[in-house]
Amino acid sequence: MLTGAKRMSFEELPHTADIKIRARAPTLNALFSDVLDALMQVMYGPERSGGIDRRVDLSSADTESLLAEFLSEVLFVSEVDGLVFKTADIAIEGLHVSAVLHGEPFDFKKHAGGTEVKGISYTGLSIEKEANGYKVDIVFDV
Amino acid sequence: MIEGVIRTGTNEWEVPVGFVKGMRVPGRFFLSEHLGSMLEEGAVRQLANVATLPGIIKNSLAMPDIHLGYGFPIGGVAAFSPDEGVISPGGVGFDINCGVRLFTTPLEEGDVSGRKDLVEGLFRKVPTGVGGKSETKVSPRDLDGMMLRGARWAVASGFGMERDLARCEEGGAMKEADTGSVSSHAKQRGYSQGGTLGSGNHFLEVQVVREIYDPAAAAAFGIRAGQVCCMIHCGSRGLGHQTCTDHLKILETATKKYQISIPDRQLACAPVMSPEGRAYFRAMAAAANYAWANRQLITHASREVFARAFSLAHEEMPLIYDVAHNVAKMEEHQVDGRRRILCVHRKGATRAFGPGSPDIPSELSEIGQPVIIPGSMGTSSFILCGTDGAMEKSFGSTCHGAGRLMSRSAAKKKLIGKEVAADLLQRGIIVRAHNDNAISDEAPEVYKPSDEVVQVVHDAGISRLVARLSPLGVIKG
Repeated sequence: MLTGAKRMSFEELPHTADIKIRARAPTLNALFSDVLDALMQVMYGPERSGGIDRRVDLSSADTESLLAEFLSEVLFVSEVDGLVFKTADIAIEGLHVSAVLHGEPFDFKKHAGGTEVKGISYTGLSIEKEANGYKVDIVFDV
Repeated sequence: MIEGVIRTGTNEWEVPVGFVKGMRVPGRFFLSEHLGSMLEEGAVRQLANVATLPGIIKNSLAMPDIHLGYGFPIGGVAAFSPDEGVISPGGVGFDINCGVRLFTTPLEEGDVSGRKDLVEGLFRKVPTGVGGKSETKVSPRDLDGMMLRGARWAVASGFGMERDLARCEEGGAMKEADTGSVSSHAKQRGYSQGGTLGSGNHFLEVQVVREIYDPAAAAAFGIRAGQVCCMIHCGSRGLGHQTCTDHLKILETATKKYQISIPDRQLACAPVMSPEGRAYFRAMAAAANYAWANRQLITHASREVFARAFSLAHEEMPLIYDVAHNVAKMEEHQVDGRRRILCVHRKGATRAFGPGSPDIPSELSEIGQPVIIPGSMGTSSFILCGTDGAMEKSFGSTCHGAGRLMSRSAAKKKLIGKEVAADLLQRGIIVRAHNDNAISDEAPEVYKPSDEVVQVVHDAGISRLVARLSPLGVIKG
């Protein structure tokens, strides 16, 4: 069962074929960061460090699309540059996200235990504002 | 059975118009009572949602391996009129041309039993899993070749035999491919992954033919009892996934532009003949071709391992057939007494053309198209044959596999990779994977029983059982 470290930043929900994640965070920036952490954990496991940075900047039509496109871009950079990300500094302004991702090169000994994610699903994707912050349910197609 | 669904035959059900708002045609699926007890309401809802799309012909269909997907259900088949209908990446899936192929060898079970070096050799030769990078360096010219000429490119480059192409759906390449519709992001992902298997439910298996159900068809296909075979199941890798992601975004905008009302965002679509629709189809064809090239590369690598281990010639290991299970095609079908070209989507479904179809090898014209149905890890796989029944009832389509029952999170809690592997070894099946989750996630019990699924399509007359194969060795990502 996947869980986020420290403050239970995300949890895995049952889904027959794919991986469904629920995350809750006090701010939208932290929410995006937590879902990124979940994605990296699914793909590469918990043992990840920083050291190499990558920037991702993009805009989208709505916040859900922004999250899905952000994660898709991270998937792309991770695969093509062979990098595994540990954390990210995320700044969301309106419908634009600027992020600096911190990671390390893919290491077979540490990172081969995960599951490949084929894409970020929009089905049931919704970001909700709650009393203490934000909540999102998101499905990763594996 | 789910409320609102009507039985229309022994293993046939209808989802009537009105099950969800805006359905233009009924839904129809093939399922036994027993499998019906595992049917997800959400999957039926998805089937009904597809029936709301413009230009859909006859029925929104699903095969007995139906389960929850995104937009379209997995196991979904839907055909659209090219003039009034739409094309939708959700009806194909992220893994464009995930598919399967089978080649045979002159070996018998006794020749390979205990030969751990065979499975080990395959595991070393074929990159699998997350981060698996290929040995073959793919240049931009190679990539263009893979996208435009698919398995043909691979054979011309020395990876396989000319004869392989005749035994591959589309002859190993769709002619509609256009590399201009494939993004730079997708191409970049394509360079490093040529010849890799991926992970999840992708696998390579050494199998033995255990049972022949239809001797005439088996003989025509080139299958005999006791024969050792090799089955390869994988898709278009990152290039395909990226292509789906890219075009989903473009088609989301197109859905609004063409004022198409959709009940689910993941049903983003565009008219088949619109610029956006055509661009997706051409990019999808390019990704499909990449997958055929990929399976051809893996075939060649696997043949090398067998050749070295048993002193065989490649010609002794012919390809039986290769089928896609996530793809959209422009095909001619009989609708209301006349022949029409339709845009047929198959997501987790396999083409199963019947006898006389011009698209199948001429030497198989009297029999029908071979259909390869991979079982889940440790369970039987099947070879079937396309039928006239399929042409009549399902736009020449049948199931693709078993369909999942248990989520990965539940599997991880209940099953331990090492125990599953040990259990399989006790039954004579060697499993090699990079990590234990790859094994527990795919344990036999997380899937619907594959034999039940193929029995349903056989009884429904949309394909005919030809042979059953059992695994001897599995490599997984």
